Amino acid sequence: MTIELYSGSLKQMNEPGTIRLISCMRRPEAWGREEGRIVYPCLLHQIESQPGTMIFRVSMFGVVRVDMSFISETVVQLARRYRGHKGFCFVDMTDDDMIENCDAAATKAGQPLLVWRGGDPIVIGPRPSPGTLDAFQFALAKPCVRVADFVNVMPNVSVTNASNKFKQLWQQGYLLRREQTAETGGLEFVYQRIA
Amino acid sequence: MVMIEFRKGWADATRLEQILRAGQAPHDCAEMTFGFCPDSKIMIDAAVRLLALLNQLDQCTRRVVLRFDDGVAGVMGYLDRMGFFDHLSKGIEVIPDRPTFSGAALHGGHNAGIVEIAGINPKLRDQDLPTRLTTALTMACGSRSDAGALGNAAWTIFTELIDNVFSHSQTSLDGYAALQVYPRGNMVKVAVSDSGLGIMQTLRPVLSREFPMLARLSDTELLVEVFRQGLSRHGADRGCGLKGSAAKAMKYKADLDVRLPTIRVRLSPGAVNYRLNTAYCFERLPLIWGTHICFTFKTNLQEKE
Repeated sequence: MTIELYSGSLKQMNEPGTIRLISCMRRPEAWGREEGRIVYPCLLHQIESQPGTMIFRVSMFGVVRVDMSFISETVVQLARRYRGHKGFCFVDMTDDDMIENCDAAATKAGQPLLVWRGGDPIVIGPRPSPGTLDAFQFALAKPCVRVADFVNVMPNVSVTNASNKFKQLWQQGYLLRREQTAETGGLEFVYQRIA
Repeated sequence: MVMIEFRKGWADATRLEQILRAGQAPHDCAEMTFGFCPDSKIMIDAAVRLLALLNQLDQCTRRVVLRFDDGVAGVMGYLDRMGFFDHLSKGIEVIPDRPTFSGAALHGGHNAGIVEIAGINPKLRDQDLPTRLTTALTMACGSRSDAGALGNAAWTIFTELIDNVFSHSQTSLDGYAALQVYPRGNMVKVAVSDSGLGIMQTLRPVLSREFPMLARLSDTELLVEVFRQGLSRHGADRGCGLKGSAAKAMKYKADLDVRLPTIRVRLSPGAVNYRLNTAYCFERLPLIWGTHICFTFKTNLQEKE
């Protein structure tokens, strides 16, 4: 049985792109909305030059300090702009203060983002609601999941309820989703973690 | 001509308010003299606010004289070293004459205990100002147990405050920032001022649309919410700067003093959030345009004030 989810072309589409934030900055420190607005078009250009890429890992390698206003005008703004269509997450971010700044900017904008430290994700910005937390944690453990996969391991959750949870997570920017042909021949959604 | 006198002893922001409230409000006077009596001294929070006020008065065509009884041997010498006269409007008369050479220009950057008054102007962005303030603060607070983490937090506090001046002040007058370490007072004061409309004037008009629940709050209560919730006239998704600055400053037990055109609020770090220090909160103060913020950090957390 071939599941389209793992087909070659789709796998290529699922390959995340990497954006090094420092490549758009003039110095390793950046602050303020104005500086953010200067960096934003550079980031946007990098995204638009990879139209098939759905997930972008924003590497903070080489970035010494960024404040809340700068992050708000750059990565948070991008994540909001592409919510539901493309996903953004942070990698190479080790400084707790930097995470705190990004968290504050994402929270204010109502835009969730993930920070990956090793294999572990940290949610910054608004946290998922208690009702969707189980579905979100399930989705984080695998590259892609279907509602049917979740219902299989959570027999007390109905398909409708599970569908609503995943739809909500997608709409709120925690997950991405795409359509694929189901084994039955119809269409189903595949939900993808942002990693 | 109205006389506003700074008498012997220290004048901090609180003393400055007392002096201004004692007489006619400066913006209501056509001519006035600010006199510094023998042995008078001024702290950086008061100096920066006074500078902003003097330049506002000059721009509003008031005739202002600044008199220093001790000359450069006294408070005038200190103000010169801090760059006060470099930023003072040319229309303001100074007695005795302004220093021929700026002390700040001659010695600037050579004293780790101060950051000279820097202009904040969006067209002439001083990119390194937050770093200079941070370096001076972390050196002064080197003996604190949280000194290591303080640096990055302080940098964010300063960037957000300065960026706030760029974004909101809406004025042709420069804003100012400066820092002074007071080793004997176990404190570092960081003052950031602008001469714009002030948070209330920009926030109030949009309050009923953006934050209807807060529309009935008094100016003092609303100002506290600006720092607790992060309110912005640009909508609910903005305003993280002042809130984030205050949250970080509170973590490092800094006191926060905010002066708006006619109100002043002092906030002290509480268990979870800043709490109002009501003894120092005043409304209906003499007009000084703008938003004037001063953070006071302790250089040593164990030592009592």
